[in-house]
Amino acid sequence: MSHSESLSAIGRRLLDRRRFLGTAGLSTTGLALASLLQADGLLADDARTVGGKAPIRPDVNPDRPYAPRNPHFEMPARQVLVIYCPGAVSHVDTFDHKPELTRLHGKKPPGLPAVTFEGPSGNIAKPFWEFRPQGESGKMVSDLLPHLGQQVDDFCFLHALTTDTSAHPQGENFMNTGFTMEGFPSFGAWVTYALGTENQELPAFVAINDPRGLARSGKNNFGNGFLPAAFQGTDFNAKNPPNNLNRPGSLTSAADRRTVELLQRLNARHLERFPGDADLAGRIASYELAGKMQTSVPDVMDLAGESKSTLEAYGVEGGSELRGSYARNCILARRLLEKGVRVVQLFNGSDPAGGNGITNWDSHANIAKTHAMQAEIMDQPTAALLADMKERGLMDNTLVVWATEFGRMPFLQANGTGRDHNPGAFTCFLTGAGVKRAFSYGESDEFGFKSVVDKTTVYDFNATILHLMGLDHERLTYYHNGLERRLTNVHGHVVHDVLA
Amino acid sequence: MVQFSWKVLIIGCVVSVVWSPAQGEDIDFERDIAPILEENCWYCHGADEQESGLRLDFRPRLLRGGDSGQPAVVPGEPDKSYLVEVINHVDPDMAMPPEQDKLPPEHIALLTEWIRQGAEWPGQMDAVDEITSDHWAFQPVDRPKVPQSAVSHPVDAFLQQQLNARGLTFSETADARTLIRRASIVLTGLAPTPAQTDAFVTASEQDADAAYSELVERLLASPHFGERWAQHWLDVIRWAETNGSEANLYRKNAWIYRDYVVRAFNEDKPYDRFLQEQIAGDSLGSGEATGFLVAGPHVPAATVGREPSAIRQARADRMDEVIQTVGASVMGLTMGCARCHNHKFDPVTIQDYYAMTGVFDDVEFGSRFPEFSKEHPRRQRGDAIWAEIASHRQQLKQMGGWEENWGAYRELHFAPVTTTAVRIRFKMPNVGLDELEIFGPADRRQNLAAADFGTQLTGFPELGVDGRFPIERLQDGEFGTMTWRAQFGKESKDRAWVELTFPSAVSIDRLRMSSNREYFYDTDYLSKKPFLPRYEFDMDVPDDDGEWKPWVGTWYVNRKLAEKHADRKTHLQAIAAAIAALSEEGPRRSFVGRFGKAGMARVLHRGSPENPRDEAVPAGPAILEGELGLTSQTSGARRRLQFARWISSADNPLTARVMANRLWHHVFGQGLVTTTSDFGKAGALPTHPQLLDWLAAELITPTFRAGDAWSMKDTIRLLVMSRAFRQSSAPVERGLVADASSALLWRFPPKRVEAEVIRDSILQASGCLDTTIGGRSYRIHNEKKTYAQWQVVDNFGPSTWRRMLYQERMRRVDDRMFTAFDFPDCGQVRARRPVSTTPLQALNLMNSDFVMDQSGRIAQRARQAAGDDPSAAVDECFRILLCRLPDESERTQCVELAQTFDLSLVCRALINSNEFAFLP
Repeated sequence: MSHSESLSAIGRRLLDRRRFLGTAGLSTTGLALASLLQADGLLADDARTVGGKAPIRPDVNPDRPYAPRNPHFEMPARQVLVIYCPGAVSHVDTFDHKPELTRLHGKKPPGLPAVTFEGPSGNIAKPFWEFRPQGESGKMVSDLLPHLGQQVDDFCFLHALTTDTSAHPQGENFMNTGFTMEGFPSFGAWVTYALGTENQELPAFVAINDPRGLARSGKNNFGNGFLPAAFQGTDFNAKNPPNNLNRPGSLTSAADRRTVELLQRLNARHLERFPGDADLAGRIASYELAGKMQTSVPDVMDLAGESKSTLEAYGVEGGSELRGSYARNCILARRLLEKGVRVVQLFNGSDPAGGNGITNWDSHANIAKTHAMQAEIMDQPTAALLADMKERGLMDNTLVVWATEFGRMPFLQANGTGRDHNPGAFTCFLTGAGVKRAFSYGESDEFGFKSVVDKTTVYDFNATILHLMGLDHERLTYYHNGLERRLTNVHGHVVHDVLA
Repeated sequence: MVQFSWKVLIIGCVVSVVWSPAQGEDIDFERDIAPILEENCWYCHGADEQESGLRLDFRPRLLRGGDSGQPAVVPGEPDKSYLVEVINHVDPDMAMPPEQDKLPPEHIALLTEWIRQGAEWPGQMDAVDEITSDHWAFQPVDRPKVPQSAVSHPVDAFLQQQLNARGLTFSETADARTLIRRASIVLTGLAPTPAQTDAFVTASEQDADAAYSELVERLLASPHFGERWAQHWLDVIRWAETNGSEANLYRKNAWIYRDYVVRAFNEDKPYDRFLQEQIAGDSLGSGEATGFLVAGPHVPAATVGREPSAIRQARADRMDEVIQTVGASVMGLTMGCARCHNHKFDPVTIQDYYAMTGVFDDVEFGSRFPEFSKEHPRRQRGDAIWAEIASHRQQLKQMGGWEENWGAYRELHFAPVTTTAVRIRFKMPNVGLDELEIFGPADRRQNLAAADFGTQLTGFPELGVDGRFPIERLQDGEFGTMTWRAQFGKESKDRAWVELTFPSAVSIDRLRMSSNREYFYDTDYLSKKPFLPRYEFDMDVPDDDGEWKPWVGTWYVNRKLAEKHADRKTHLQAIAAAIAALSEEGPRRSFVGRFGKAGMARVLHRGSPENPRDEAVPAGPAILEGELGLTSQTSGARRRLQFARWISSADNPLTARVMANRLWHHVFGQGLVTTTSDFGKAGALPTHPQLLDWLAAELITPTFRAGDAWSMKDTIRLLVMSRAFRQSSAPVERGLVADASSALLWRFPPKRVEAEVIRDSILQASGCLDTTIGGRSYRIHNEKKTYAQWQVVDNFGPSTWRRMLYQERMRRVDDRMFTAFDFPDCGQVRARRPVSTTPLQALNLMNSDFVMDQSGRIAQRARQAAGDDPSAAVDECFRILLCRLPDESERTQCVELAQTFDLSLVCRALINSNEFAFLP
């Protein structure tokens, strides 16, 4: 059997392309083959996804892994902001209005479970905050989130979400990577793998972590899983730059510059011995990009040029210290999006050890206090960020996803003052490019206990946000260990009703 | 087929109108059943189409079922026949024929009755449906003939055949400096030292072949060989020293498995034995090897939640990790697909999957004392210490009772008493226990308090604090956070008590209590140490009239007896010292898996533990003739041992092929099958199928050179001695055009080295590298709170100057340095590391504390060697880092930089150079 016979059609095409490029004198001959062959699949002829569709493999050039690439189909959104609230935001205390809870407050109607995640359950509890109609649409939103409430006319709520787990880390994994287990590529990694990025001087995918630290699933929420490391989220926020970004303190800039110059000469000389080797050329290019990032990242992190009114609107001053830090992260998010960063993932909460007192939205006890503290941090800065983006026209090409891992129970925990985890119903919202405005999709039951109308799985949710980015969730695949892996595993349907 | 169908269709049309069955009436297949199937089923589930893998025109396939793995028909048992469920539209998502096409009730009745009567199908009653496959990887390994060739090395002969066919040839032999660098890194993961390089270059000038052969032997014999190859194996099975998931807890002493793997490669343990020990080491005197089984991540019970379904799901997930490890690493099969339905591409069924869970049913993620052979030094030391403890206990016995602190638990020893019950009264308001055990002199290991033993347990408060900590947990055999807890206010006079009633009178003399033994045994490096409170209590036994009478108590033992016998103290101190010595020098509980009682595995319909169906008898996959002669009653250890023998047999078509290919992959950078852990239909075809089979045969039974069966070292030697390995990596235009990937090996394919090679080589260059083999990993992280993330605190100081293999492997934790270099996150099986190039790598290698610190040290070392001459110092830096001297222009530029600023900057640039980062 000759070598080419063992190749798939795609593999043969790839080799032909290389041959063409190679003879055309471009530096793509000795490509980073291990990864390319994997990406392009030296696979059997019938490479296809479980759903039976042919994969669309992004044409990743290892010289420039971040070069912008076309989506599968045209959609308005070119970039995406994910605002992730770890710990599980109580839908029945925020956006999912359930008058029945007030009526049955203190009672225990039949049919509700005796044991939930943390143990025995107690009685129905009415929302801890008043609901009132907001915006022209009159959407009912609680007083917990007054600033976001004012913008409901721009939002598209999904009220009938369900997830597969009632544990936080698995829930975070599921929302952010499509699998409850660890080690799978995150949404941001998939999108940058598919689309590259517009700005070659900033990372393609930035994970702005909460001032209190990483969420419970840590790096897994923005990791590359088995995709090449090039597609992992770069972790920095308004306070802490990326790891090792800055020139070491012991070096003058002249000394640093001269080292880089020497390195360039050494590499150029070495390259003469391996003419046209793209692996080597690619590595040289990565040093140039790193050098550019050393200027562009501090620039984008520098909020000194932001107007006083902007700082005020975001709530940088005048609130809790945590709100101030989160507000700065929100401004950073906008600045990154303005510069064309493809994916920005903004966290509002950390693991439970991340700070003093309140660390995330997990409110098993004293929800009245803990949700209020968390809302104080999240509400105004997030609302200001969305308003600012709208004003600057960013919403025309940016999809915004506001998400959490599950909801909370309509009843209290036994003898308790908080609500336990509810995987059966929760609410997230979308806004921005390509999304229907002032719209609510799906319904939970009269208690907000289970999703009943237009039930939406996490797979559906992820399929939909990929679709909004112009990507077919069934065709965006990566061969790993015997399978064409997808963000949505073998499930998921796009919720067409939420598309504008 | 078509003729047959028409015939029955006509008959069917006629009769079905007039005939309505009642239970017990005889069903005639051709008259009553075939028409229904023909009309409603065969279009989608017949000879041409088999939707969901289901075929309803062949009786054996009805019995086997479709992708779901559920038998569509169980003759005589309509209740167990999935077909009946589906045609009745029980589950709206799996209703056939769909919606309005639902069969009329009389047809449903006919089919049900037909099944009840035995599903008679004339002409097909003896038909068998064997799972077969013509896929290459499932065919027996048949040693191919080495092609006739001018080259003497068989590997080259196979390769050359294909090169010739494409008009290509091998490249020139690489120069000596390249060769020693390549061979050293591939075989040991360490770059050669300048002295080694010089010696090799000189020797090569005399006799290149002899020098190379000597070099290879030296490297294969190096203890660093095992370190390098262990790293590859650990990658494949995603072994790490933390659990992953939220708390991501450290796995105490898990590293003894890593050392086992290093030793196995260094001692050239035959691959078949290597596999057997990892699967069944507890039966083979190498207990630490079973760390293999629990290499994957798991979610500990404390974070699963308390819903019973979530607990069952978590257990199924843990089993899946075990199956994935075995499937991907050894068998080269992605078994995971078959967890929910029959594999889409490969002949692996859902029954196969659950048969394998049956094999591993006794495995649980946790720690145990590894079984060591009698000769094992730890075991010998342990036996000696135990003898010491026993002699002190003997002395103490004569003075009454005493208490021992074993860290994980406290043990109260007392004068034996024969009784049918005991009562324990606690004297303090707060009590928290995960387990309470009672032992007697008859069988020192039998826990007489266990529910399994038949002992009844009551007490107060029965449901614990808030009703959330039930008392049954004291005797459920489970350690950890699932505790019984009592908590009374300051004013309260209430005190907790426990009462145990044995199934019959037993003699007892020891009471053991712990609060969270799992944390003590299984984990470490938490800022809050597992706390073992000292509970004061009295223990009563009933007298002849059934009245409770005090027998022993902590106050009596620790105070009263201490006052009475002053010399007790010496013995107690000696025991405490012995316990400490035992935990350091004897066998230690280590996170290499623990084994429970193996039960009956069942096929979980659509992968759901809430939907257990048929029994799954422990076995390997049917396509590989995995029948092991086991039953659901066989002990767990025996199940695994049988499986281990089967999987490591020379007849298994996958085992040798998969390993030969892995070795090839790590030598040449790309496997003959590029998908190294997937030899199934979705995987890549071998580029050189004959060569692969020849290598597999050679691994099992060496013929080319005398050697041992299953020797990994011999196979690696075979590969690196080939001309293919020794040729230059320089690009050749003809080669690039014909075979851009160098898969045909017209040159040696260059590649960026892994994170470990970069770090180790830098440390070696500075002279800092501590080359000690094995032992506890070095830490770069903090001690953390249970639910916090690990933080890097020191990733460059002297305590980290060991080979990176010994850096604690943490799941999904960024080490702030090498994670950017595709270092695996150990979440999913990683058969091969991707090689990516990112600006973050550049930043880390330019600006990190590690590189800055090491650059300074390398410069210092160079200056010491070279004296004051700046040019000689630069030469020395090149020698140390690149094993060569600079050319004129390089030297001039470097001297200038060193003189204007500092020599360390030259080192920093060299560390970042492509030459340093690439395997030449």
